[in-house]
Amino acid sequence: MDKNSETRHHRWVDESLAILNPGDEWHPDVSDGLLRLKQSQVRGTWFSKRWVFAATGAVVVCLCLMVLHSPKVLVHRCLECSVAVWQSLLPSAPAQANLKPPSGRTLAPDFNLKYANGRDVKLTDLKGKAVLGNFWATWCEGCQVEIPWFVEFQKEYQARGLVVIGISMDDDGWKSVRPWLKEKNVNYPIVIGNERLGKQYGLDGMPLTALVDREGRIADVHPGLVDKAATQQKIRALLQESFKDSAN
Amino acid sequence: MYTVNTSSEAVADSSANETHLDIEALFRAHYGRVARIIARVVGDRARSEDLAVEVFLKLWRNHKAQSENVEGWLYRVAVRAGLDELRRQTRRGHYERMLAWVQTRLPAATPEDIHSVSQKQARVRSVLSVLEPRQAQFLVLRSQEFTYQEVASILNMNPASIGTLVSRAEESFRKEYIKRYGQE
Repeated sequence: MDKNSETRHHRWVDESLAILNPGDEWHPDVSDGLLRLKQSQVRGTWFSKRWVFAATGAVVVCLCLMVLHSPKVLVHRCLECSVAVWQSLLPSAPAQANLKPPSGRTLAPDFNLKYANGRDVKLTDLKGKAVLGNFWATWCEGCQVEIPWFVEFQKEYQARGLVVIGISMDDDGWKSVRPWLKEKNVNYPIVIGNERLGKQYGLDGMPLTALVDREGRIADVHPGLVDKAATQQKIRALLQESFKDSAN
Repeated sequence: MYTVNTSSEAVADSSANETHLDIEALFRAHYGRVARIIARVVGDRARSEDLAVEVFLKLWRNHKAQSENVEGWLYRVAVRAGLDELRRQTRRGHYERMLAWVQTRLPAATPEDIHSVSQKQARVRSVLSVLEPRQAQFLVLRSQEFTYQEVASILNMNPASIGTLVSRAEESFRKEYIKRYGQE
């Protein structure tokens, strides 16, 4: 292609494209455009705020789940499962009945408390029975995990001489415990404890579980959440041992 | 005179992590030209203004674009938005013509229409819509009287090769036009 035709073609293309000019008299309205841009920005900001709303909503739902009753049960079940999984993951130490030897045991601090029906209960009245005393509270999450285990123990070993007593440490006593008892299926007696009794058993934090032999002596005190299998072993050993003592 | 400059006054404050863009100042400075570029391609003034606002909105949302050659980015995206719209219009026109044929209600073109400027504009736009996007971008930017240097900056290309590429784009345009509408 020679230089002339190249220039001619170039000019033709330029002229062709020049007719696309939208017109010199037309001036896009900047104010109107800016207004529309700002409106779109506000909408765009709202879109990004949607994530904040979604996150807030999720938090509210979580709070509701924690406050409402039935989800609370679900939380307890989850907690229980987590504890079981955690315990199964721990180095598998065989469950042993690490009870104090009978010769080293001291007499358990006696108590005189009342059942829900108003009847008195004294530890000394339970002589001849192995007693599992569990210090707990309605607000204590760990307690809610182990209480079903104590229900099982009561059911399984009651005939062999075990008595489980739940000693509630709720500040407002029966006011909190009665509604709680209505909701739960607890097959052992519950009493309301006091600070002095807690101190006597070395209660620093909830829960605390004490095992008392048939002679009324402390065989074991376990602060915190118990190991279900280990506690079961202790109960069996205590019941067996007590039978020996009783026989002697 | 348009200048492609990353240290524009519109970019008020920049730090290592974030660039704060004065979108309003940038809008006031470039909206008119951005809208005119789009109008050149699309042919519809109202639609061009809509698309121009969308271009600035894209810039506002695109933090990466705010940290580079902002003006270059604006014009590059504006041309692309115009060409995309042109292709959409071409497709829509094609379907509408098909529908009109089915309905046998095709409006009759008058001799004035056939020879009008708008007819020529439609042809030019039709050719632009089928060219390679990069070649169409060269032609639109050149027709908007950007210099080779500015075209290179807008399209992130080597300025030395722009002349050759624009010539090729013009040749492609001419061939496609003749193929479709014959020699004028």
